[in-house]
Amino acid sequence: MNSQWKTIIPFVVISVFGASTKAIAHGVRMQARETQAIEVNAEYDNGEPMAEAQVTVYAPNDPATPWLEGTTDNNGNFVFAPDSSQSGNWSIQVRQAGHGSIVNIPVEGNQAQAGGNGTTEAESSVSGVANTRTNFTPLQTILMGATGVWGFIGTALFFMRGNKSNSELRRSESQR
Amino acid sequence: MHIPDGILPASIIVAGYATTGGVTWYSLRQIKRDKNPQANIPKASLLTAAFFVASWIHIPVPPVSVHLILNGLLGTILGYYAFPAILIGLFFQAVMFQHGGLSTLGVNATMFGIPAILAYHLFRLCHKVGKNNSVWTGMFAFLSGAGGLGLSVVIFFLLVITNIPANIDAAMERNVIYGLVLAHIPLMLIEGAFTAAVTLFLMRVKPELLKQ
Repeated sequence: MNSQWKTIIPFVVISVFGASTKAIAHGVRMQARETQAIEVNAEYDNGEPMAEAQVTVYAPNDPATPWLEGTTDNNGNFVFAPDSSQSGNWSIQVRQAGHGSIVNIPVEGNQAQAGGNGTTEAESSVSGVANTRTNFTPLQTILMGATGVWGFIGTALFFMRGNKSNSELRRSESQR
Repeated sequence: MHIPDGILPASIIVAGYATTGGVTWYSLRQIKRDKNPQANIPKASLLTAAFFVASWIHIPVPPVSVHLILNGLLGTILGYYAFPAILIGLFFQAVMFQHGGLSTLGVNATMFGIPAILAYHLFRLCHKVGKNNSVWTGMFAFLSGAGGLGLSVVIFFLLVITNIPANIDAAMERNVIYGLVLAHIPLMLIEGAFTAAVTLFLMRVKPELLKQ
């Protein structure tokens, strides 16, 4: 009987502690879970990342007070997990040396009662991607620039045509 | 160096538009006094095109990179035409490439345009002191090109350094602003040299373009 218990007790102990998902050791408690995060990437319009730029996040329920502050990494990236109980537009401002931008990203929060134990679990989903950049290809950018320049050249040509009728006036001016 | 939307408080944005409105009116009045106000429009239009694309030309000044502005050049060659030219150039930069912003169009036009007009008056001093040889013209053109940009950088510096929001790390923001402003010193030399080169070239091949 006695020897039988000696073999069973270790299995009971192992199965009790093995059921716990928390790692407990010397007063450190850790918990890891999956959550929804927002990744921000900021770069200058010449493609350089905005490294170590200051990021300010505003929550939907208080757009005047910063909810989180931080800095981007060397690649201009900043990741944060929004408070899933707040749904609406999260505003993220990135600023460096008087340059910067604000982006609004909608987050839909689903509050659901996880019955019985009285805790509220919330799930959130980030709907879509917010962008302040105009995603033009280099060819499109060059074409747009060329049309703009052609507009200016056209204006110049138009007024040069007008000047020909005033050529006498110009000649008299240049003689003076 | 264009100030984008959302950086400055509303009062400065309104003041920027008010200043731009006033200076545009004054510039157009000065232009109207010309014998033939349309005669300089082709020149102004071509330089607006140059101003419009200049912001694409980036010059790396480690650790940052700066882009050409050319407001000193426009002022030196165009005189009072420079202000409307810069205003139109900035409008198209903001609308087509989100460079700057529509709300800060007034502030940016003031920041680039008024130094351009001052650069023109500085360049005119060359004629007033009666030194019309190419060395003096080149030197005054260099000073106008570099000084026009330099004054814009000073205005930019004052605007952003006095409007750092309370919630961000002010010391860190100030440091990067100092860095950006210092990076414009080599650009001032480049634009000064470019203005001198263009002015001397025009003086040789088409001197009437420099006469106002």
